[in-house]
Amino acid sequence: MRPVAIAAAGKTPFGAFQDRDLRSLAVEAGEKCLKNGHVSSSQVEAFYLGNFAGPSFVGQNHLAPYISTALGIYDVPATRIEAACASGGSAFFHAFSAVASGIYDCVLVVGVEKMTSQSTARVTEILAGAGDCSGEIKAGSTFPSLFAMIARRHMYQFGTTREHLAAVAVKNHANGALNPDAHMRKAITMEQALNGRPVAEPLGLYDCSLVSDGAAAVLLMPADRARDFTNKPVRILGIAQASDFVALDQKPDITTFPAVRRAAQKAYAMAGIGPKDIQFAELHDCFTIAEIVALEDLEFVERGCGGPYEASGATARSGEKPINASGGLKAKGHPVGATGVAQLCDIFAQIRCEAGDMQLKRNSLGLAQNLGGSGASCVVSILGNV
Amino acid sequence: MTVYTETVVHLAPEAFAKEVPYQVVIVTREDGSRVTGRVIGERVVIDDPVEQMELRDGVPFFRKVK
Repeated sequence: MRPVAIAAAGKTPFGAFQDRDLRSLAVEAGEKCLKNGHVSSSQVEAFYLGNFAGPSFVGQNHLAPYISTALGIYDVPATRIEAACASGGSAFFHAFSAVASGIYDCVLVVGVEKMTSQSTARVTEILAGAGDCSGEIKAGSTFPSLFAMIARRHMYQFGTTREHLAAVAVKNHANGALNPDAHMRKAITMEQALNGRPVAEPLGLYDCSLVSDGAAAVLLMPADRARDFTNKPVRILGIAQASDFVALDQKPDITTFPAVRRAAQKAYAMAGIGPKDIQFAELHDCFTIAEIVALEDLEFVERGCGGPYEASGATARSGEKPINASGGLKAKGHPVGATGVAQLCDIFAQIRCEAGDMQLKRNSLGLAQNLGGSGASCVVSILGNV
Repeated sequence: MTVYTETVVHLAPEAFAKEVPYQVVIVTREDGSRVTGRVIGERVVIDDPVEQMELRDGVPFFRKVK
């Protein structure tokens, strides 16, 4: 396996864009990425698209060549990857595998979702398709309700509180206010976070990520070749994808996600580092409780300690382990298929000291964790300076 | 059978919109297996004993055992 680097990145702002369609968002991100990498579309040898539910959200199937040809990428393999909210991370993982194995020398990954053309009720229904439709979803579960049940159990087993959850929302909104591309650039107070209207108890409006439109792209090359295109390539030091049951009621313990633990352990081993070495991370905060569970499954803290760790300020920009300096899914937005790729774009920018107001001081080793469904898919990536 | 976890849903897809707020539970059966269902009547909390009242379209509906 040869070393692989990200040579360039590009993305659209995240938000609700009534006048933009799925393809135009994907093309904007892809074109920005190729331009930033000084690569022409004819040099791209394979195209991977991360997209969760384009066929349901906008009625379009066969999305990979639909987008690659609009980018001027012809003839080469164009493949869509679907792994619920981990679609973007999974597309990246498969692109990495193809470059690392020596099959391709220049691969473009785009993640995209166009969600806001549907009503909230319909979006809820489409997202529920990432759960087990023959059981939990048929019983009336929604994605907020699945994570609400995880939160209830976490509170019961470990004493996690509503204030711990709210601390995640307050922190990520404060970070999002510094991100010019964030869907919601507005700080919120602890009182607001605690008093959002109920969605699925104990989760309220401010515990839930946003329904957004957006796209993100990265360009992968063998590490030695990437140097011909940029003087600041970012190495993929470790990466792994893992899987688990789709239905929450099949998991022995819903307060931990084995897929996250397995992906993290493999990625740490590949990078030859441990969780303490990670300086900052972009975690999959689809709901506030998800960031708390992720801190534990990535072994940043012991099991059950995620809530107090958040409340201590350790995960703030100024803390010992800044989490979601971009604002996370909570404030940056969560266009599902774009999310996993956007996390990598944000870490790429941090490592290259190009993150503007979001720039962190300790920025040479970052981790991205992209979760699908209620833990059935997970991709963990570790990026660092070459 | 006891309640393993629960939530009360306030925002639902169209198919369930008329029923909100409603309670969803994961119940642990005597054999240790789990199933997702709904609650009839009084709301339940974790560890409450429940009994299955009926099966509607494959979905079990539970009630708290007093």
